[in-house]
Amino acid sequence: MNMAWKEMKKSKAKFIILGSIIFLVSFLTFIISGLANGLSQDNAALIKDLPQGHFYMNTDAKQTYNLSKIDPSLQDQILHENKDAAALSIQMGFVNDAEDKQHSVAFVTSTDSPLFEKVGPGEIVLDRSLEKDGIKVGDVLTNNQFSGEFKVVKFVDQKKYSHAPVAYINMDNYKEIYRTKGMQLMFIPGQDTASSITGLESFSNKDFLNTISSYKAENMSLNMIIWFLIAISGMLFAIFFYMMNVQKIGLYGILKAIGVKTSTLFRMMWAQMFFITIIALVISVALSQGFNMIAPKGMPFQLTMESTLLLSILFLVIGFIGATLSGLQIKKVEPLQAIQQGDV
Amino acid sequence: MTTFTIHDVTKTFTNGEVEEQVLNGINLSLQEGEVTALVGASGSGKSTLLTIAAGLQRASGGQVRFEGNNMTAMTQEEVRKIRASKFGFVFQSSHLVPFLTVEDQLMLMLDVSESNMSKRERKEEVAKILKLVEMDHRKDAYPASLSGGEKQRVAIARAIIHKPNILFADEPTASLDSKRSKDVMTLIRDLTKTLNITTLMVTHDEEMLPYADHIITMKDGLIVQ
Repeated sequence: MNMAWKEMKKSKAKFIILGSIIFLVSFLTFIISGLANGLSQDNAALIKDLPQGHFYMNTDAKQTYNLSKIDPSLQDQILHENKDAAALSIQMGFVNDAEDKQHSVAFVTSTDSPLFEKVGPGEIVLDRSLEKDGIKVGDVLTNNQFSGEFKVVKFVDQKKYSHAPVAYINMDNYKEIYRTKGMQLMFIPGQDTASSITGLESFSNKDFLNTISSYKAENMSLNMIIWFLIAISGMLFAIFFYMMNVQKIGLYGILKAIGVKTSTLFRMMWAQMFFITIIALVISVALSQGFNMIAPKGMPFQLTMESTLLLSILFLVIGFIGATLSGLQIKKVEPLQAIQQGDV
Repeated sequence: MTTFTIHDVTKTFTNGEVEEQVLNGINLSLQEGEVTALVGASGSGKSTLLTIAAGLQRASGGQVRFEGNNMTAMTQEEVRKIRASKFGFVFQSSHLVPFLTVEDQLMLMLDVSESNMSKRERKEEVAKILKLVEMDHRKDAYPASLSGGEKQRVAIARAIIHKPNILFADEPTASLDSKRSKDVMTLIRDLTKTLNITTLMVTHDEEMLPYADHIITMKDGLIVQ
């Protein structure tokens, strides 16, 4: 007999309250996770969208790419030895539109590579978020440190760096703006292990992201919130099932007295936990994915199905552990004590 | 026929450094188709004896033998199996499962006793037993909507649905008025006879004694009569 189901049917209010709390906590976790992913994407989509490989910067730069400067002869040697490699530079800056309105951008330039936009002299390729600001293909943009003008040739989707839209420009134009002759970084894609290059320090994509101070601090704070929510939900499971079990101690004792196995009582509790959690998670996943679709464009929100499923599995595991820990008292219940306590 | 015997059973409770001997060597035999009543003042050890006999707690010494096997030497799982399939229990309070209907209370007991009846046979058996205890008209009711007497009738039905060899009843009429108490005792006596069950009952209500075949009086952990 399915006692778990019969109890839920009879005590709907109790289980609906428990389910609602699990729904609210999981929904909040999904939303925070979506915001964390969105912010992380907003901060470093340019780097995150690159294939796995290794970045290289000067050893002297002390892990700060802004201070890095690759020797041109070494750069040529690396590019010669690694056909897919690219030398690149990233600098924060501004462009002015026809109405002299300033737009913050991250200037990116690179040697010829399919990983980065190829841009001719005097051309600029922008992240699509600038389209919303009224900039169109064919518009002319200026920069007060650049003698010429930039003509907008194209928009690209989701290319952000340090929360600013990326602006791909030609290498010569970049060198003029920043009064530099060399590039800051080398990127060699597809490397499982980094090459040892004298004078250069290597970073995996993940390690390189962590050298961006804002990215690391932001991600740590948001991930901390997510883990706290997961831990809190685990405790909630444990507390709720503990309270329910305390209320049912007498009943468990009687059931044990008439011969019900302890394992049957545990299975009953697990079945209820999984049923409530799965229903609560299905609703939270549906709502959070719905929110993913209707989230305002300016809001950095990205919730992939993969991370939703991963979090859902984590919730089920946490719920199972919480319920099981609280259910350990079932094992301790003495039938005799329950009988002497009166009606359940 | 004797199927259940108790040999020199003792029980000592330890409370801190104080030891209290509750049973001082009890010997007892129960006969099939008979109701044996345990009577005695409060603290005489009758309820302790019943719970030890029913395998709900362990004796400190002596043997409880059921169908030739010494239950005091069995594992907890072995005792549980006996409780589930061979024993029936009626408690002072009905102790029904609050979220199960009357019919489901009995179906649960058939599940617990691992009955090999089909679902249809189980339903028929439940209907038969409910009719026997005159509760067939309330088969879909939940315990909260039953009167004290009705609850106790359902508890008795649950205790006998799996055809136990022994029925243990711990003050089954304590929570009932005089009229209902007599009805419940008549039911227990009749079922004991018709189903050939061995019944051991604890009571302190002298009005219930005429329903018993044997009366055992206890005092200070000993059988005195």
